[in-house]
Amino acid sequence: MALMPKRVKHRKEQRRRIKGNATRGNRVSLGDFGLQVLQGGYIRANTIEACRIAATQYIRGDGKLYIRIFPSKPMTARPLETRMGKGKGEPAFWVAVVKPGAVLFEIAGVPADAARECLARIAYKLPLPVRMVARLPGE
Amino acid sequence: MSSPVKFSANPRTAHGSLQCRKLRHAGEVPGNLYGHKQDPVAFSANAVSVLALVKSGNRLVNIELGGKTETALLREVQWDYLGDYIQHVDLQRVDPNERLTVEVHVELKGVAPGTMSGGILDHALHTLTVECLVTAIPDHVVVKIQDLQLGQAIHVREVELPSNVKCLNNPETIVVRVAVPQAAAEPGAEGGPAQPEVIGRKVEEKEEA
Repeated sequence: MALMPKRVKHRKEQRRRIKGNATRGNRVSLGDFGLQVLQGGYIRANTIEACRIAATQYIRGDGKLYIRIFPSKPMTARPLETRMGKGKGEPAFWVAVVKPGAVLFEIAGVPADAARECLARIAYKLPLPVRMVARLPGE
Repeated sequence: MSSPVKFSANPRTAHGSLQCRKLRHAGEVPGNLYGHKQDPVAFSANAVSVLALVKSGNRLVNIELGGKTETALLREVQWDYLGDYIQHVDLQRVDPNERLTVEVHVELKGVAPGTMSGGILDHALHTLTVECLVTAIPDHVVVKIQDLQLGQAIHVREVELPSNVKCLNNPETIVVRVAVPQAAAEPGAEGGPAQPEVIGRKVEEKEEA
């Protein structure tokens, strides 16, 4: 089962706008290389799970993968073939809200070539444009 | 240890976010020089030279500013949200006989034998906080991991530092370890509920009943 919170304050949330850039979580801080998103958006919990599986199948215990995002926002959906109205739909899935610059995944303990290949496999699963980044000089 | 590098900058009279933004568009990086109970001086420098300085790893600079040369330490670098461009630099005036607290990069040397037997190298601490003379700031601290077996760790107390350099981190903190691989626990695979618990919902229902 994909990631989701254990406890929430409200079952449903409004969508809200994704404004601005990431000012936190936008640096490689745990691993050696990371995958940075260049556009804001939502990433579903099952997409994160697919990325995790793709990465762990590639690194096979050689390195360590860090997931820097968590799907904490519930998204609702209406059942098929129902008329409009009758209130908001029921929670259907969970998403992580990401802003441009956020580092989604990090990888440690593998050489740069292997990290690039692993992050490329993750990037293939993602719905947003991403790029590979390393630690900044002096960090 | 590195000797101060030459760095030239121009005093700037333009202050504030709008003026700094204009400077950045013109290929300059705004900065400030402060310390030693003297008045802070705002300056701007060529963005390419600032980036080269930061990437070189040198921290001590001899800054030529308004006809005066001062020795300063590169204290803080602010990057844009993507980490591509430098937004601002802070330089701190230093005296050669002064002791300072700085962050020093930890560099691993060798191949840990524990990784050959299936362990995962976990580099937990990438920088050390050290106190040393301005002229003796190490470029990096080398941690040798060629004897690190599976399940072993190197703590801060075991790191060899140059003489006259004192580490301020907790001595028990792990710098690097070879972790025993565990069966990858799938997040949320423990068969929990399909929906999370709503805080306060159960209490209300009980009260109603």
